[in-house]
Amino acid sequence: MAAARVRPPWVDTLVVQLLAVAGAFLFAAAIGGVIIVLYGENPFFVYSTLWQFATARLSDFARVLESATPLIFSALAVAVAFKCGLFNIGVEGQYIVGMMTATMAAVWLDLPAPIHLPLVVLAAVAGSMVWAFVPAILKVKTGAHEVVTTIMMNGIASSLVAWALLNLLRTQESGLVDLRSDRFSESAIIPALAPSLGLEDQIPSSAHLTWFFPLALLACVVVWFLLYRTRLGYEARAVGSSPGSAEAGGASIGGTQLKMFLISGALAGFVGLNHLLGDAGFLGVNYETTLGFTGIAVAFLGRNHPAGIVLAAILFGILFRGEDGIAVATDLPREITIIIEGLLILSVVVAYEIARRILLRRRREAPAEQSVPQMQQGSVGATP
Amino acid sequence: MPLLDLGAAIAIGLAYFTIIYLTGLGGLFSERSGIVNIGLEGLMIVGTVMGAWGAIHWGPFVGLAVGALSGLVFSLVHAVATVTFRVDHIVSGVVINVVAFGIARFLSQLFFQSSTQSTSGVPNFDAIDIPLLSSLPAGLGRAFQDMSPITPIAFVLVVPVIFILTRTRFGLRLRSAGENPEATRTLGVRVAPLRYAGVALSGTLAGLAGAFLSIEVNALYQEGQTQGLGFIALAALILGNWSPTRLMIGALLFGFAQAVPLRLGDAPIIGALPDQFVRMIPYVVTIIAIAGFVGRVHPPAAAGKAYEGAGGT
Repeated sequence: MAAARVRPPWVDTLVVQLLAVAGAFLFAAAIGGVIIVLYGENPFFVYSTLWQFATARLSDFARVLESATPLIFSALAVAVAFKCGLFNIGVEGQYIVGMMTATMAAVWLDLPAPIHLPLVVLAAVAGSMVWAFVPAILKVKTGAHEVVTTIMMNGIASSLVAWALLNLLRTQESGLVDLRSDRFSESAIIPALAPSLGLEDQIPSSAHLTWFFPLALLACVVVWFLLYRTRLGYEARAVGSSPGSAEAGGASIGGTQLKMFLISGALAGFVGLNHLLGDAGFLGVNYETTLGFTGIAVAFLGRNHPAGIVLAAILFGILFRGEDGIAVATDLPREITIIIEGLLILSVVVAYEIARRILLRRRREAPAEQSVPQMQQGSVGATP
Repeated sequence: MPLLDLGAAIAIGLAYFTIIYLTGLGGLFSERSGIVNIGLEGLMIVGTVMGAWGAIHWGPFVGLAVGALSGLVFSLVHAVATVTFRVDHIVSGVVINVVAFGIARFLSQLFFQSSTQSTSGVPNFDAIDIPLLSSLPAGLGRAFQDMSPITPIAFVLVVPVIFILTRTRFGLRLRSAGENPEATRTLGVRVAPLRYAGVALSGTLAGLAGAFLSIEVNALYQEGQTQGLGFIALAALILGNWSPTRLMIGALLFGFAQAVPLRLGDAPIIGALPDQFVRMIPYVVTIIAIAGFVGRVHPPAAAGKAYEGAGGT
């Protein structure tokens, strides 16, 4: 098998991982298909309806991208922390605190548009970073496990936002049954994308595709650059794969983890903004939740790589929007898409693990000079 | 009548205690076997919807059994992922929570023709009065009247749990799998079945707790009714240092923290503190504890680590 040996190791990695994803997709589609058949529907028809509904018209796809926007940010936040061996389960709490601080800046400040909107965004980022700082500093200084502290910070965040909404931010408008903040002034609202591109005929304003989507793509590029082209990113990946050798190589574990966790928190700040500034225009009690947890799933699916994350987020958007098609065209409950999502994440997680082991075994069997040290996902057990 | 309020608050606190304690015990079995389980919330959610369905059709006893059984089955996903495929425990736990949300919606639509709730009035057990305690004077007896029979059972459960963990072959082996799996295997004991059992017990107990919530406490299934109680159970477990008795104290504390905003909002001192800050107490206390500012917490040594033992692990 001399020919096989000539392949560079990354080709091997890519092939095995793509096979793993393909296998996981087939497995999830097959199990989902069995459930659909039990319901007396044709799985091929259901899947094609789902796809059609989400992608047939430009306006449908705009809604897919609208759903993908917050997921890209939250998955990036998870990935940035994950790369240095930390698990940010706290994106959920961080982004709702960010929504709260953004609302404060939007309602309390009265500024012209070119200054107001960036300040509101900055306020969200700052709020989220503060929320990420607590578990990060505790991890670095006391060794408190970030999984536990971020879960607790999530619990505190939802109570804090509920309190702020009831007291500080509650609107003075009379005759309102709903609990919400004041409506934001126009200067704090993010413009929709369609008019800027001259597509307002095809994409109605009910699809809240805003400039946050290109910003999300930009964030992917920035994160990629950070991880793979900067010293901090290199050190972070070293800390994530082998803390001992990273330290021996001169990287400060605590300092690197603190910085990366703060960057993760900053990214989390953007998660709630498309909903807040592009759709609702106020903070209400029924603000969107669970985007942080879904982001974790998107990050797994996208292999914690910026490009994979974009694809995974769009896939989740398609499943989310395709629900409507299933509700219209079939007798299935629309929640079948959530089941398919779940099956997909589960099988992908297992498939990646199997792929990782296959690659590891191959590398061990390969001649020593070819065994390139490879970045591994830091497991919780591996971080002290 | 502040004391009457106090009695009522204790009654609610005891109901929440039951949920937190049962779920926390589940987490204890899992983590003592070496498998970190942050999917307790998700396991509980599945228990709420399945339990309510079972109770509507066949009564509360079957409802609780169905809830526990569904928790068990769902937890096997976590066991297969973490023990057999050695997926990171946190990754798998997160997935369990995300997926549970979807499963609950799907099942709710299937069972109740509404994706977010069942009809109210899910049949439950006849409430009982605890002898002696229920006749306490000055309204305090209220705390022990009209109680679900499951609550005293949860209290008594600590005895068999301690017995199992410290006096039976299974319990000792389970703990050894969580502390030092290599030593366990050296003695000729297979680690994987022990860890499967630990996770299955966590699913059973969390599912039971979920069913208790939807059947006995609310008599209704509703999306989001677990309100993060699975995470609070995790907090109680950490604070309780993975010991059944100390977990009980933690669960009592956090159970009452849940009840205070509901019943004691008008009491002096507490009334001045916003509800939302009272609800933060369990989380803040846990952060302080885990950061080592008070005492130390010692998780099972091998918890969270995949065991890579060769051959028949």
